[in-house]
Order: sequence, then C-alpha cells, then structure tokens
Amino acid sequence: MAVTVAGRTVTADPRLAWRAVRIEVASQPRALKAWFAFLTLLLAIGAVGALLSLPPGDEVFGTKPSFEWGLLISAYVFFAITTSGLCLASSLGTVFGIDRFRPLEKRHALLALFSLVTAFGVIALDLHYPVRLAFGAVLSPSPMSPMWWMGVLYFGYLALLVVEVTSMFTRRERIHNVSCLLASFMAILAPSTLGAVFGVLASRPYWHGSFTPPSLLMAALLAGISLLGIVFCVVVRFRLAGWERSQSLAVPGLRVLLTIALFTAFLVTGWQVLTTLYGGVPGLSDSMDAVLVGPLAPTFWIGKVLIGLAIPLVLVALPRFYSVGPLFVASVLTFVGVFFDRTIFVNAGQVVSSTAASGVVSMPFNTYTPSLVEIAIVIGAFGFFAMAYTLAERFLDMSEHTGDHLPILSRWGRHDPHGHAAAGPYAHGTAATEH
Amino acid sequence: MTISRRRFIESGLAVCAGLVGSQAVAALLPSGGVGTAVAGDATPSPASTDATGGTSAPYDPNAHSWAFLVDTTRCIGCGNCVKACKRENHVPEKPPYNRTWVELHVVEDDGSLVITSPDGGIEGFPPVPVGVEPQDVSLAYFVPRLCMQCQNAPCTSVCPVSATYTTPDGVILVDQDRCIGCGYCVVACPYGARYIVPSGESSPMGIPGVVDKCTFCYHRVTRGMRPACVEVCPVQARQIGDLDDPADPVTVAIKEKRTVVLKPELGTKPRVHYVGLESEVG
Repeated sequence: MAVTVAGRTVTADPRLAWRAVRIEVASQPRALKAWFAFLTLLLAIGAVGALLSLPPGDEVFGTKPSFEWGLLISAYVFFAITTSGLCLASSLGTVFGIDRFRPLEKRHALLALFSLVTAFGVIALDLHYPVRLAFGAVLSPSPMSPMWWMGVLYFGYLALLVVEVTSMFTRRERIHNVSCLLASFMAILAPSTLGAVFGVLASRPYWHGSFTPPSLLMAALLAGISLLGIVFCVVVRFRLAGWERSQSLAVPGLRVLLTIALFTAFLVTGWQVLTTLYGGVPGLSDSMDAVLVGPLAPTFWIGKVLIGLAIPLVLVALPRFYSVGPLFVASVLTFVGVFFDRTIFVNAGQVVSSTAASGVVSMPFNTYTPSLVEIAIVIGAFGFFAMAYTLAERFLDMSEHTGDHLPILSRWGRHDPHGHAAAGPYAHGTAATEH
Repeated sequence: MTISRRRFIESGLAVCAGLVGSQAVAALLPSGGVGTAVAGDATPSPASTDATGGTSAPYDPNAHSWAFLVDTTRCIGCGNCVKACKRENHVPEKPPYNRTWVELHVVEDDGSLVITSPDGGIEGFPPVPVGVEPQDVSLAYFVPRLCMQCQNAPCTSVCPVSATYTTPDGVILVDQDRCIGCGYCVVACPYGARYIVPSGESSPMGIPGVVDKCTFCYHRVTRGMRPACVEVCPVQARQIGDLDDPADPVTVAIKEKRTVVLKPELGTKPRVHYVGLESEVG
C-alpha cells in the first residue's frame, strides 16, 4: 500500500517505510544529519515538558494567582504574531510594488502555517481544558470577549493558510488567489485582535490602551521580516530551490524592509518609554520602572534593545555589512529580540501587584520564574517549528510559484516565472537590481 | 480531489445548519449551556433550609440584590474569616490561594504605605510587620478582601466561553464545568480575587485547573444563611445585606455612612463597600 504526497510516493508498509527512512538518512550530508539530530533533541525535550503539563493544574508551571500568564503565553503570542508578520511582510512588498517575495511565497506560506500550528500547540498546553474551548466557543460564544474573537480569527486564518498552501502545491490558481487575498486581510485582523486581548484590560495599565494592538502589529512585522531574512539567507547559502532569485531580489528587499522595521521599532520603543515616564500614571509608570531598572531590565536592555534592535540595525544599515552573512546574523538577532520583547510585554503587564494576598510583605514587584516544564515546552515548540520547515524544505517542491494573482495583488510589479521583472512602475529598477 | 459547486454549497449549508442547531440547543438548556452542571455552590435550592435548619420559601434570585459591608474600624485581623472560608468552600490550603484574605495596611510617618498579608492573614498578624519600625507607624488597620462582585465586571465580559456570569441577585459565579482555565479573568480582575485551582487540591467541584473565587457563599445565602466569613467574625466587621430591602442594616449603612469602594476609577461598581478606609487600597 502506498500514498502519493506532493508527487512523491510514500509507502505505508512499516518495514518498507523504515527502510526508506534509513536510506534517506544515509543519503543526507553530515551537516544535515547533525541538524536533524539537534532538532530531534529539541522535540524530545518538548515532548517531556508537554507530557508533564497534561494534568490540569498549575504546579508544573511557574505561574501563580498574582502572575497567571507566563512563558507559554509569551511564546504563543510570539508564534501567533510571527504568522501574521510573514504574511504582512510579503504583502507589504506587494503594496509598495516591490513584488520580490511573491514567486518564493511557498516558503513564507509554509512558515506561516507551521508557526500558527506551533502557536496553537503551545496555547493548548497552557490551557487546562483546550477541548472545552473548542466546544464552548461554538456552543456558548462570547462576542464581548476579545479572546473569543481572537480564537475565531486565528482559526479562520489557519483554515485559509491550509487552503492557500494546499492550492499552491496542487496548482489550483483560482482557489489560491482568493485564499491569498483573504489571508492577507486576516493577517492584519488577527494580531490586532490579539493585541486587543491585552489592550482592553483596564486593570493592567501597561497593556491597557489603543496603542497595544498596533504595537503588536509592529512586532508581527518585525518577526515576519526577520524570519524571512533567516530563511532566504539559508536558501542562498545552501543553494536551495530558487536561490538565484533569493540572492538577487529577496535578500536586498529584506534588507530594506528590516532596516525600516528596526528603525520604526526603535522609535516606537523610545516614545513608549518617554511618554510613560512623563505621565507618571500609577501602575503604568511602576511597570515601566520594572522594565527600565527593575526585574525586567536585563531582558529589556540586553535582550530587546541591544540584541533585538541596536546590533541588527547596525548590521543592516551600514553599507560595509552589505552581504548575506550580516543580514543573516541581523535577522536571527531581531527574531530573538522579538521573543524577548514579547516576554517583557506579557510580564510587565502583571509585574505590579493588584493585591498582597499572595505575598508576605508588599513587594515592589510581582515575581515570576518560568519552570523547567515551561522552558522545555518552548524549546520543543521551536524544535517543532524548525523540524516541520526543514522537512518541508527537504521533501516538498519549493521551486518558484509561477501563478498569476488577482488584479488587486498584481497591479504593480508582476514577475515572470524566470525571475525577470515585468510590467509595473518598479520594473525597471528591479531588473537593474537583478542584473 | 475535485469538488463540485453543488457539493461545496451543500457542505457549507450543512455546517451552518449544525452551528445554528447547536446554538438553539445551548439556548434551550438550563444555565445556558450543554453539559452544564452549575458549580456546586451556584445551585439555588428550591426547598432550602435557613440558618436554624428550618425550611424557608423557595429562593427567588430576582427578589434580592446582595451587597457586602466591611467595617475596617472593627476588624482585628484574627484570620477566622479566612479559615472559615477555606473550610466551607474547600479552598486549597496553600497560602496563595484564597477566596478571602486580610491585609494589614501600615502608614508610616513619611506617608509611605506598607501592606502585608502573611499567608493571607489566616493565622493573624505579628505585632509589627517585618521591615517596619514601631516608632515610624502613624496609622495601621486591617482590610479584609474578597471578590467585589462588580456590577460592571471585567471578568464576565472577557471570558471567551461565558463560563463566568452574574446571577440576577448580583453575585458573580463560575461554571466550573465550562471553564477552560485560560486565566483571562484572573488577569482581568483588578482586585486579584481569582485563582486557578491547582491540581491535587480541593475545590467546590473537585476540578483542578479551573477558576475559583468568592461567591458570597451563594450556597448558604440562597438558603437563608449568612456567608461563612460573616458567621465567624467575632466583631461583626463583615456583613451581608440585601439592597432590595430598604430596612436592611447594610442597605441603610451604605446609604447613610460614608462608605467607599475599591478602585472606583475603573468603573467596575463593586458590591462590596468599605467603612473607615484611610488610604487608597489597591
């Protein structure tokens, strides 16, 4: 018995399958074997953490009544916004006529799908009764709750991504075009609703306000661009499918986008700090104290500002670093920085006590230390994400997607299948870059 | 795989019909849900007994509007209320988990406020809090805390599955059979009045991983009894009353005394009123 997946015939016989796996492993270069072994280790760590977290209750997590949302929520937010960011990054290119990523969109569509699946996996392990959520959200919906809307939108987004990816690999252009367009809208709606989950909470001044949803969009964009930077640098380095286009079009385009996004994020962070310090709003300024000089300061100054913003900005902005290597390093650092940024965001909202019930003496700040189980789950999540993408890169046809798009998407800068820029106001410039 | 337009439309209609049908079923079921056995302390008894063990008339939630009065000038910080609450409601013994707790507020000469609550105040308080010099104390008083049963409650509006809701008589309850344990209401509560039941611990329904909170001892109130904490308070610092009864002492006190609510700026409209607060309580 055999099934055909993406044009490849895969046996369902266990013995034959095992033999095929052994042949595949034997045929892999040593570096790839080492990479797979590393990812398997991450997955194993994550699996142990996931199993330990299955019984409902809080003991295996470091969370407590005064600090109910911990590392897993940060990780969920990170993966969820990364999904949107991937779509936003590619859409931004289209909107501004820099349609450089579209022929390579198989990669960012797959990355977005895997990232969202990872996010759902992490949140399912954090929820004590995830199955109840699936039924409860339908049988007793709560349209007043931003979390309900977030669930609906991200679930819809997941469905659209599945359709988009499937239609892309099966070459169903019409379905692909429509799902692509709808997914682009959802990529903006979903993370801003995720921002609203935090933004509506008047009891948490650090989160509360209309600024929170757009700030999540900003973080999403940064995460998406940096992840595309990582992937396309790897594609160029290992000369994977479509590497010529990646080198000539995607990588330069990503450098520009990353520079703009990093600079904007720097400004947004600076103004956020300054306005909070000037205002002196109770609770809000206390949270910012925790971020600037309190328990969250090392993560903020080293993790976010230095690793996540300053060093990457230098690497992408200075002409002497114009090559794939520095862009790769900058992208990795930015991606890590966004993760730190999300942990700061989630923690800063809870760092100010609303009660002394759980404390002995009224501490200046609530404290939270993630447990080993939480850390293991997050390690496993990254392992799953990387493993899924590596397998896709290895076994799926990642050659350029050549289909035309809906008129609204291809108004500017459509490309032909061979990577030459075609019609559009930027066509001339793009072609010049390419050659 | 190919799918015809007709087949696609048929499938879509079937899914829509299923969703609408499930909604209708949910609306027909009591307490607004499928598989909902309302939390043990949330079920009013049609033939209940009062505090003396005698029978009383069936409880009508529409005929009451509960409120709570805390007199901080009377509270002595003995911790009896915390103990009684834990026993009555199967609240976990561990210190961070409380339906009610007592804080000691100490105002120092320089105006700084030190708040302590060792183990929720269950075993009382030391004469002087750790880190405070006796000669620096200008004012000290106890503040009993509990769920504020807000009339404009953030916890009910944020719940994604409508597991937390307000009864007609103004008490906020949690349907622990429906709660998913996401903790959104815990972080949304400005008063820190909620917690997620840890595993291996008891809870009213014996379910770990769901949210628990003070219910004004709804199972007692609806049977004509007073909440456990009110019952055991030796100095009557805690009182429950019915705002629908103009002659109720609590109703009179809320109208005539200068009572305050916590964090009024948030617009949550708490049903718990305080007498004698000397400083802003977070």
